[in-house]
Amino acid sequence: MTSNLTVRWLLCLFGLLLPLALPARNVDLATVPTRSTVQLTIYNSEDLTLVRETRVVTFKQGVNPLQFSWANTLIDPTSVELKFREPKTGLEMLDTTFPHDKPQMLYWNVQSDANREATIEISYFTSGISWAADYVAIADADEKTLRLESFVRVDNRSGEDYENAQVRLVVGTINLVEKIAELAKVPVGRVKEELGREEYRDLRQKAARKMMAPPAPAPASMAVAGAAYDRVAEMEAPKEIIKEGLSEYFIYTIEGTETVPNGWAKRLRSFEAASVPMTVEYRYRPREYGEQLTRLYLLRNDAASKLGTTPLPDGMLRVFRANRDGLSYLAAQNLKYVPIGDKIELNLGSDPAVVFELLRQKVYRDNLWFQIRGGNLYRKLGEDGFKLELDSQVAGWDEHTVYRQKIRNYTRKPINVQIRREYAGDVVFRSRLNPTLHDFQTVRFETSIPAGGKAELDYEVIARMGYNQKQNRVELQTGDVKP
Amino acid sequence: MNRTRWLYSLGVLLVLGAGPLDALARIKLTTLPVRERVEIQLDHPQIALVEEERIVPLVKGVNQVDFSWANTRIDPDTLVLRILPPLADQPLDAKVLSVSYPPNETALVWAVAASASGAARVRISYVLGGLSKDFHYRAVADRDEKTLNLAQFLRINNNANEAYDAAKFWAGVGERFDKPLGLNETKEVQVGRFASVPVRKTYTTHPVEFGYLDRAQDKLNVPMHYVVKNAGGALGKEPLPEGKARIFQDDGKGGAAFLGEDRGKFTAPDDELKLYLGLARDIAVRRTVDRNERQRIAGNLYRYDVTLKYEIENFKDTPVTLDITESVRQIRDQIRGDSGRDPEWQLGDGSLRSPDPEKSDADKLLFHVDLPARPADGQAQKQIHTLRLTLNNEW
Repeated sequence: MTSNLTVRWLLCLFGLLLPLALPARNVDLATVPTRSTVQLTIYNSEDLTLVRETRVVTFKQGVNPLQFSWANTLIDPTSVELKFREPKTGLEMLDTTFPHDKPQMLYWNVQSDANREATIEISYFTSGISWAADYVAIADADEKTLRLESFVRVDNRSGEDYENAQVRLVVGTINLVEKIAELAKVPVGRVKEELGREEYRDLRQKAARKMMAPPAPAPASMAVAGAAYDRVAEMEAPKEIIKEGLSEYFIYTIEGTETVPNGWAKRLRSFEAASVPMTVEYRYRPREYGEQLTRLYLLRNDAASKLGTTPLPDGMLRVFRANRDGLSYLAAQNLKYVPIGDKIELNLGSDPAVVFELLRQKVYRDNLWFQIRGGNLYRKLGEDGFKLELDSQVAGWDEHTVYRQKIRNYTRKPINVQIRREYAGDVVFRSRLNPTLHDFQTVRFETSIPAGGKAELDYEVIARMGYNQKQNRVELQTGDVKP
Repeated sequence: MNRTRWLYSLGVLLVLGAGPLDALARIKLTTLPVRERVEIQLDHPQIALVEEERIVPLVKGVNQVDFSWANTRIDPDTLVLRILPPLADQPLDAKVLSVSYPPNETALVWAVAASASGAARVRISYVLGGLSKDFHYRAVADRDEKTLNLAQFLRINNNANEAYDAAKFWAGVGERFDKPLGLNETKEVQVGRFASVPVRKTYTTHPVEFGYLDRAQDKLNVPMHYVVKNAGGALGKEPLPEGKARIFQDDGKGGAAFLGEDRGKFTAPDDELKLYLGLARDIAVRRTVDRNERQRIAGNLYRYDVTLKYEIENFKDTPVTLDITESVRQIRDQIRGDSGRDPEWQLGDGSLRSPDPEKSDADKLLFHVDLPARPADGQAQKQIHTLRLTLNNEW
């Protein structure tokens, strides 16, 4: 493997000759201290990764120029920071220079009060590294439980190989003022004029660094983790992914270290839960699922369901069902972030084994009111003394529509069906179906149908029209429906 | 990063003695585990799921299993590797550690840890694009058109650029079957056979749905349908998927005559599959609005009395049943224009008084009318039927 180490930084020894000045233009001599540790914190809501690397450098007493360059990568030059980890005192960064003729490079002048070896930390934002969650759910044949596996996939298109990196993934939506990929293209001296914002850096860094509260592991512990990875274990176990909450976010830390070369992607299991209890429900909710009876798997992200250790980040979820010989593909859906304790609804689309038909059985009108001669006088049809005036107009009436909802269940199991119907205007919903109101204009009722059985649900919708409309809501009425 | 790979259209390579990814050597020794079993599930309406079982030799430690699918349309995001429970005599515990996706390659690498050296049975499943299916039907009616033999066929079109020497198929209906499926092959398999299915031959008029043969003369089209109920015998256990149906009739001489074809709709159990075969020109139906009177109730509120008249002649030498179908809304719109409201109606005392309750609703009316055969002397009897409707509360 040819390591493409483009982010490099140089300790320029000729600093001796040119204290507090840029190094010589054309003749350079440099030493290249290697990375001791590297940590990647990858955000999935934005194209943003915070890289923190440590390197061990020997400083001489006096001023030491350091060169840091990042050719062909997607690093945001305004985000590069230098810190002294060990020792914490005795070293001081005097200034940072971005040379006008060398893009993707900077110099630091570091003042050391003694000749010493020091561990320094460089951090910066880069774009081009992303992660995404995805899920595989396999229901057992009788659809009582399912097996849920969650994965994280890290994609490296940043132009840089990160070897043996500690990988942390941030679940949550952060605010970014500018896109890192755009900043990476802009020479640092022109950032302000091009972007026209003084505070952009502070804002963005504040947002991202808030999540950096736990410090990067010390070089020593990282080395141990790396060694553990290389050691031939008795039986290598899939890596743990440690999940911790932090502010509004969740951080996943992948156990040990990972190497993701540029251009590669790597997928690791985040968690696995077998025998997660689930139920099957059929729903008719045109607003959510369109004009079809939709089959769903319902489960919960909680401990009782053998889940609940972590929120489920957004990601593609694929649902399979184990059948006699193998798997059946049921559906794929984009799972939206599921907090701990919340429900998970997997939409499987319509089921050809359940027939759902709405029959309009009868329409009639009554309670007709007339407006007399276009004035403010209204009279009801059939009232005493009401004459058949030629110039009176129908102004209000009740429109009765009698429906029969037919459902046939050809599956081998009893099913639960939940129906929501929305009615605009002043409506009475009359039935013996024990309906409830989902909201002021949506009626909700449900039924269960035995295996191989059918249901006929009768109801009457009375819409008060025109002058008769006094309200804008559905009123539930218990009563017989006569087709 | 440069990696040598044996280009297989769809291959699983096992890289022996492999370490972490970055240590992938340029020269490597690989074993090629063959497919032990392939299952192709076509039960999803649009998607084909392929599941292959392979025996993968593993060494103790971490193994790399390369899976590549050059020139095929595998959806890599759907790839699932399942390691089956080990055999009792060979206790080998294996786990997938991670999956790596090399750049610019249709391949991935599973890192699999094994507790001992030995063979593991794995199942690799994936959604394969380019593998499509459709259904079609062939029905042969007997001489008297009372029953027919219905055959259901599944056609699998393999444009997936991959061959399967032996695969078990399941299409969601019918029996599972084993067949090889070659490159760019189309395979047709009979999945259902339904013998002596009762068939109903219907003649129907419906001004909205089937229109007029001659509008100026008020002559309606009379299409002929074969109606097969998805119930009884071998039928009714599963839905009949949509597909083209070709209908033949036993010609009594050992052959079959082609009667017509239609696209059959998805038919749930207990529902009817209705196949339009063609127009019956030997049944003539004239439909006229015979009477249209309105009566004012109050103000601008009216009641309409409408009578539709049907003059029917059967020139066939067999008695038939004619289904007269009407949309009340269409009648109302025809006599007084569309008010935007559903019609409120009552049946009057015409000769058509009892609509089929199963096939009628708030708008649709369907009446069965028996027509006698044309007498032997040649003169067809003209039958007159009337449909009287009262349209209430119209304005």
